[in-house]
Amino acid sequence: MGMMEKLEEVASSEAREYLTFRLDQEEYGIDILKVQEIRGYEPPTRVANAPDFIKGVVNLRGTIVPIVDMRLKFNCSKVEYNAFTVVIILNLRSRIVGVVVDSVSDVMELPAESIKAAPEIDSVIDSGAVLGLGSLGDRMLILLDIERLMSATDMGLVSGPD
Amino acid sequence: MSETHQDSGGNGDFDLTQFYQIFFEEAGENLDLMEQMLLNLNLETADDEALNGIFRCAHSVKGGAATFGFADVAELTHQMESLLDKLRRHELQPNAEMVDVLLESADASRSLLARHQAGGEGEATPTADLVRRISALAGGQSSAPVLAVQAPVVVAPVAVARPAVTPVAQTKRPRSLEICIGPLERTEQADAVQELFRDIPGLGEITVLPTDAASTRLFAVQTESSDEDLLDLFAFHVSREYIKITERVINGDAAVVEGSVASNAAVSSVAPSDDAQPGAPLAPLPGYGFFDGAPGAPALAAESALSEVKVQKAPPRTPSAGASAQPEAATIRVAISKVDQLINLVGELVITQAMLAQNSRALDPAVYQQLLSGLADLDRNTRDLQESVMSIRMIPMSIVFSRFPRMLRDLASKLGKKVDFVTQGEATELDKGLVEKITDPLTHLVRNSCDHGVESPAERLAAGKPETGTITLSASHQGGSIVIEVRDDGKGMSRQKILNKARERGLDVSDQMSDGEVWQLIFAPGFSTAEVVTDVSGRGVGMDVVKRNIAALNGTVEIDSAEGYGMKVSVRLPLTLAIMDGMSVGVGGEVYILPLSSVVESFQVKGDAVSTVGQGSQLVKVRDEYMPVIELEKIFQVPRFDFEKSCDIMVVVEADGSRVALLVDELLGQQQVVVKNLESNYRKVPNVSGATILGDGKVALILDTGALVRRSRH
Repeated sequence: MGMMEKLEEVASSEAREYLTFRLDQEEYGIDILKVQEIRGYEPPTRVANAPDFIKGVVNLRGTIVPIVDMRLKFNCSKVEYNAFTVVIILNLRSRIVGVVVDSVSDVMELPAESIKAAPEIDSVIDSGAVLGLGSLGDRMLILLDIERLMSATDMGLVSGPD
Repeated sequence: MSETHQDSGGNGDFDLTQFYQIFFEEAGENLDLMEQMLLNLNLETADDEALNGIFRCAHSVKGGAATFGFADVAELTHQMESLLDKLRRHELQPNAEMVDVLLESADASRSLLARHQAGGEGEATPTADLVRRISALAGGQSSAPVLAVQAPVVVAPVAVARPAVTPVAQTKRPRSLEICIGPLERTEQADAVQELFRDIPGLGEITVLPTDAASTRLFAVQTESSDEDLLDLFAFHVSREYIKITERVINGDAAVVEGSVASNAAVSSVAPSDDAQPGAPLAPLPGYGFFDGAPGAPALAAESALSEVKVQKAPPRTPSAGASAQPEAATIRVAISKVDQLINLVGELVITQAMLAQNSRALDPAVYQQLLSGLADLDRNTRDLQESVMSIRMIPMSIVFSRFPRMLRDLASKLGKKVDFVTQGEATELDKGLVEKITDPLTHLVRNSCDHGVESPAERLAAGKPETGTITLSASHQGGSIVIEVRDDGKGMSRQKILNKARERGLDVSDQMSDGEVWQLIFAPGFSTAEVVTDVSGRGVGMDVVKRNIAALNGTVEIDSAEGYGMKVSVRLPLTLAIMDGMSVGVGGEVYILPLSSVVESFQVKGDAVSTVGQGSQLVKVRDEYMPVIELEKIFQVPRFDFEKSCDIMVVVEADGSRVALLVDELLGQQQVVVKNLESNYRKVPNVSGATILGDGKVALILDTGALVRRSRH
């Protein structure tokens, strides 16, 4: 998907609502419609042979849900689990996935014109998964295509072609 | 034809009627689906998918009806199927007339089924006309000319409109009817009806009965035609709303009815709780219900209705009450997702309850007596609830298996073959949802085995085999799956024939294909290697359906065949939501579940029992057998914080005929676990077949012992 198309996709739906969360010093936003619920962190059951950012699986009312620690995935310097650690449960097309973040800040509506294209930068985040950058006064919001990010093969959430 | 049941302990002639309900429901769904698809069918650009779908519906209904011996339904749907088959193969172009006939036939099938469901009482819907029309259409003609051809046969011109009257009449016994027509403005219209009987030979006799009302006419009719046919005829003169037909009871008949009611009343009067007054309600019975519209009748009707209620109170052992109760004792069909939700919610409830119990343990019983007894009740109720909810889903495979002996018997005798039917592993419990969906594919497979697999006795003797063929149906848990196998010792499949047929159909094949790939070809839609299309199978729809249904369950089908020696079809289904007896073991701080069925024994390891081979693989000697040791701690990379403690318990598990010893820290206990799919939200994990939720709400992984055993071999 080219940058222009991505912008169009964002722009075409006018103002969208985003759930914003913090990872270390950075602030991210994801489409609120993908969010099922927000829960406190409880230690998951470890699954062998998984990348370190997959913390394991938890029981979400009878459903087995994998937990991904975004802080480990994005190489945050400080990762600790305390009473304030939050899990965002995402409902992505056919899957339910939980992501661990430092804290959830807000739900905000962003008009299309306040979203800028992200420049090509070298980052741990696949540049295709960044929808754009939202500016909120002096803060910068990184808008993620969480669906794309989670279904990427390097996330290890989906069985490979083996 | 002989039959044997192994492992079943049951007798040969069991009651097929217990599956009627399932069949009626399935057939109803199939007919509904077919109707829907027919209505949505685009005649000009009908796509193969839709035509195949409609065909499959008819095929499934036919198959079931034939199995259960509802010949009329099977015959009608067989005709529908033949027509649909031609459409599907593009030998004919669908047109509106076909859709009409098919829709009518679906309606007729539905009413035939309803009649069977009600125990075969009442008028059978005539199908002869429909069958003729369908076969005319299938023969490439329009159904209309058939009617024209028919016309000269019938003498009276009026009868052209109702060609069905004659054939129907042959099967009907004469009936006495009372027909009330009115209220009409012009009663001559009613009189015209009388003339119909004069004009149409064989329709019956009509006589005028006296009525009080000037605007209505009452007739007594002796006829062999059905109500529906009469109404259609009368519609020439009087609109349907004004006609009321009731079965008339006269002379001898009345005595019969009266007699049976009297005996019912006698039974009810025996029952002490019943306050029926024998005799008193009987008086008005001869006139019961027949003069609904006539003046003066309401009082009679009301009283007789009263007596009817009392009669129905009689104990159900009277035949009439028993028969009428049967359709009522139906099941309700609920979406699987609703049951799943229920199971999940109950699971949560159990965990919450466990938490409450834990927190209340410290309370002083003297002070909190009421609270504690309430919690104890809650404990019991939640457990009962959980058990009941779980039991909704789980049923043993024997429910499916026991459908087959009868079907095979009929089939084998129809085909002139001798077949033994053997079942194994009937106690294997399977999720209800899976059982329902696996029944149809299995039926197809068993039919195929009998029809194409097992040879005729003469052929078998010529091939040096015993005269009687054997079809084996088995179910077992294997690793993370349930495997259901249909085996026969028949002629197997011919690789060359399949390849030839595939080329004929324009499929891309080569002689270099592996056997496995060749066998997979028979799953292509419309593919059949049977030389003749029989009533049983051979249209090639079977394997197509089988593959589809099983793939929809995330299962796989494998075929193994040796020409001349038989064939084996293995259906492998995931364990999703199957309940399993598990043994929980602790490794480090983690809990894993072993399928109890694969656990052989466990013992504490003595230092010298383990020896190494080639400085790597460890072996342990258990009695006189050496077996590989698998350290779960290493395989699952369990982090260990407590280095003092070490694994010193071995659990011997068996899978695929081999044994390995698993090294664990401790045995935690045995429990029934609900197998959850790890792959629905995550991915396949090596050596793990699924996950389950423990009593404390935590997730535990279930080990795939099959994979562990295979691992030890490399």
